[in-house]
Amino acid sequence: MADDIVVRVEGLGKKFCRTLRRSMYYGAIDVMRSMVGVSSHPEVLRRDEFWAVDHVTFALRRGETLGLIGANGSGKSTLLRLLAGIYQPDAGRIEIKGRVSALIALGSGFHPMMTGRENIYLGAAIMGMSRRETDRKFNDIVDFADIGHFLDSPIKTYSSGMHLRLGFAIAIFSEPDILLVDEALAVGDASFQKKCLEKALRLIREGTAMILVSHATPTVERLCNNGLMLKQGRQIYWGSVEQCVQRYFHEIGQDNLTRGATPQTFGVGDVRFSNVHVYQEGRHLNDANVEFGAPIIIEFEYKFLKPTRHNNQVRVGIRTFEGREVQKIIFQERPCSQRDRYPNEHIIPLKEEGRVRVRIGSPRLFPQTFRVDLAISPLDMDLHLGGLANAALFNVVHPRHERTYLEYGNLTITEFDYDVAIS
Amino acid sequence: MDHRSDNPLVVYEPEQRIRMGFMTCWKLMFKSLVGSRTLIWLLFKRNITASYKQSALGVAWVILAPVIGIVSWVFMNYAGIVHPGIVKVPYPVFLLFGTAIWGLFMGFYSAAATSFTSDGTLMLQAKFPHEVLVAQQMAQMIVSMIATVFVLFVVLLIFGTFPSWRSMLFPLMVVPLFFLGTGIGMVVAVFAAVVKDVNRVVTALLGLLMFITPVIYSADLENEILQAVIWWNPLTYLINGVREIALVGRLDHPTGYILATLLSIVVFLLSWRLFFLSEQKVAERA
Repeated sequence: MADDIVVRVEGLGKKFCRTLRRSMYYGAIDVMRSMVGVSSHPEVLRRDEFWAVDHVTFALRRGETLGLIGANGSGKSTLLRLLAGIYQPDAGRIEIKGRVSALIALGSGFHPMMTGRENIYLGAAIMGMSRRETDRKFNDIVDFADIGHFLDSPIKTYSSGMHLRLGFAIAIFSEPDILLVDEALAVGDASFQKKCLEKALRLIREGTAMILVSHATPTVERLCNNGLMLKQGRQIYWGSVEQCVQRYFHEIGQDNLTRGATPQTFGVGDVRFSNVHVYQEGRHLNDANVEFGAPIIIEFEYKFLKPTRHNNQVRVGIRTFEGREVQKIIFQERPCSQRDRYPNEHIIPLKEEGRVRVRIGSPRLFPQTFRVDLAISPLDMDLHLGGLANAALFNVVHPRHERTYLEYGNLTITEFDYDVAIS
Repeated sequence: MDHRSDNPLVVYEPEQRIRMGFMTCWKLMFKSLVGSRTLIWLLFKRNITASYKQSALGVAWVILAPVIGIVSWVFMNYAGIVHPGIVKVPYPVFLLFGTAIWGLFMGFYSAAATSFTSDGTLMLQAKFPHEVLVAQQMAQMIVSMIATVFVLFVVLLIFGTFPSWRSMLFPLMVVPLFFLGTGIGMVVAVFAAVVKDVNRVVTALLGLLMFITPVIYSADLENEILQAVIWWNPLTYLINGVREIALVGRLDHPTGYILATLLSIVVFLLSWRLFFLSEQKVAERA
């Protein structure tokens, strides 16, 4: 293999069967065929089979880190198992140069009745380490796992944290050239996580290549130079991690927008909402993608179907796609006497019908999909004159060339200023 | 990190093993088995400790299990349920050895056949040669075999029928049964990982096989058809061979025993090969 490439994957494919019955049947047939030395033609899909990993191609050099990004069931874990040599490919080719250590499950082969010491030797042997090598690294492993005087107790007596630390320590001290990590294993308390991260970074500096499976969290962007995005087994993108994560959120966002949620009216029906738009200031009103940090415009028209004498409050609710409430934008027609209950900050009289334009100057909504709900209710009555749930959806997307949002971590800051204009 | 520079290239491709050269494949099979002896030993140690640590009677089970197994047969004999034909030694002893030796054969078989069911999840978590699982199962079986042999010799002493020093060859004579049982078991293990009830079906079939093998009766019978079946059954020679060496000190049919031994070695090597060719398809079904 050329220069310092340690992993090269070409046209890699792996297929699985949807139904259990056929899976058994195909399995038995394939076993028989390979026993007599006849090809099962793995490159052809049979009924109910699908490609769990489909035409994946990439390369990884020493010291490089690759994040495998994709939704649940996109084939990330299957790809990791293929790279680890656990699954046999059905198409394509994997070339690996060097020792692979796969953190797919921590503490593989551990037995609760055996002592920590015995389990270290067993775990190390499963990782492919020789006894002499394990002897040499034994103290490092014990130190790193920080199991102290529990070393000669059955690991049944260990806390779950100690158990995982021990598993991690064995894997990381096998001095892999290629480290495969399933991010679901981000375990232990904060200090141990930090220790793991530092150890991983040191290995990377020393030339270990790392492949990390993830749901595209800021961790991946901090740790990885490259990203590979999978969608239903297919490779959608391979390149810089920033681009990859953006692509991923974009895909999710677009999926959400198309899947959408049908608007639902609620309340007594005295107000009707229409022409709801959420967009980035200065962009087209039908483009529901807003860059992180850019001003957001929420626009809608209302019409009172019956005249009202109440002091009405308009509420624009923002929820995440999953339904968690993020923020309510509220304004009312007249100041209210119950000052403790109502802020009386935004006082805007309403006409019989009109258009409301809410401008959120500097939102701190972390990239994802949000829903907007609208409602108009009298302040002195416990009902809604009119309401529209799921009135609109919008996506907050990553800014094209910046990583500013990383400063905020995975937090959506829900306090922000807004202006309301009525026309 | 001196090992980085001279790392060999590892390639994973579809159906690699069936496209491999004949001798290359054999070399790889031996290399892979010998190379993983540490892991075999550690897994064996793990499973042995685990199974005896968690039982109240502990190691006593190794002895108790064969004893309990034979009580029922001896009882049936005294009740006159089976007609053994002509036997040269006291029938309880004949029966004890017959069933114990058959038990060893079935033990070898089922140890191999359940290799993937006992440690199946491990295959999804790490990459290691899967024959390790078979080997450690066999090692466990050999431990319980040693216990059985010990019990049998104690029985011989009690009955006062210790024939000659050649009885000591007993454990060696069991080797062909080991090859045959393990061989069948390995192939079944691969299928049983895909379709769970294969093992049950084969176990039932082998149970039937016992009745056309002189286990609980002698090979000299009046029924001609049964006689012919027994005559052609290689297990007849393997089981009788072990029993004759132990009880009488010599073989009645040395040629039969040798041929059956050769057959069992062929079955074992062939099965190992079939196992090696097909076991890569197993992890994803586990």
